[in-house]
Amino acid sequence: MTDIDTKTFFGAGVEQHLDALFSVALRLTRTRTDAEDLVAEAVAKAWASIDTLNDQARFRPWMFRIMHNTFVSDYRKRSIRPIEASFNDGENDDDDLASLLNEQSDDFLVWWSNPEREFFNTLLGEQLLEALDNLPEAFRTVVILVNVEGFTYDETADVLGIAPGTVRSRMKRGRTLLQKALWEQRPGLHEGTDHET
Amino acid sequence: MKHDIGCLQAIEALYAYLDGELDDPDSIAEFEQHVDHCRSCFSRIEMERALKQRIQKTARHATPEELRDRVAKLMKKL
Repeated sequence: MTDIDTKTFFGAGVEQHLDALFSVALRLTRTRTDAEDLVAEAVAKAWASIDTLNDQARFRPWMFRIMHNTFVSDYRKRSIRPIEASFNDGENDDDDLASLLNEQSDDFLVWWSNPEREFFNTLLGEQLLEALDNLPEAFRTVVILVNVEGFTYDETADVLGIAPGTVRSRMKRGRTLLQKALWEQRPGLHEGTDHET
Repeated sequence: MKHDIGCLQAIEALYAYLDGELDDPDSIAEFEQHVDHCRSCFSRIEMERALKQRIQKTARHATPEELRDRVAKLMKKL
């Protein structure tokens, strides 16, 4: 491949995935300015290490891995936000997970199926983003990569440098925590019982 | 007709099914067969699917023009 071919390939790849890179960066950094800086920095770093891309078909996970590594190193270096208190990775807590599902998911299911669902839908965008952004980073990242960008568990594991089994357990726990957060911030929860008869 | 896997096994397989990670045809068939006749699991997967679609729709953003211009300038310098 000539230098021009490589540059053309790289430019097309970045262009193809730019919305996805920005969307993931926005959820990682939680501010638009930081997200833009992160994407730009990741693109520059990716080009500088283009020789490490051994298989062009793997451009997407390779590019996202560089962006995630950039986020992690920059985040730790600059300490923009405190690292979340230690969290349970979810790898050895099937009992705990089952308990959470049993306690909360049926209620959530009923709420979701409520006849006033259309009303909830008008509010759910902001609620969802808030709930997503409040997830511990380890869960937030896998939920976004798998749920929003359609990465497979293997690709996500590749991006994050973790085992596919860890992706699976983090997805389960991340979803459960997300539903719990939505349930706890559902409309009307803190409005008392004035409208009840 | 295959044996019914039951609700516990279906719930266990639910996320893998939703995420396209359940790649064994027999496992997929068993899961779908259970969901076809279990109202509770059907409701559960519909809720999970709707939530997943809602998250996809909500968390996808178009690249701001400022960033698009910035990346374009960066690419020219390469």
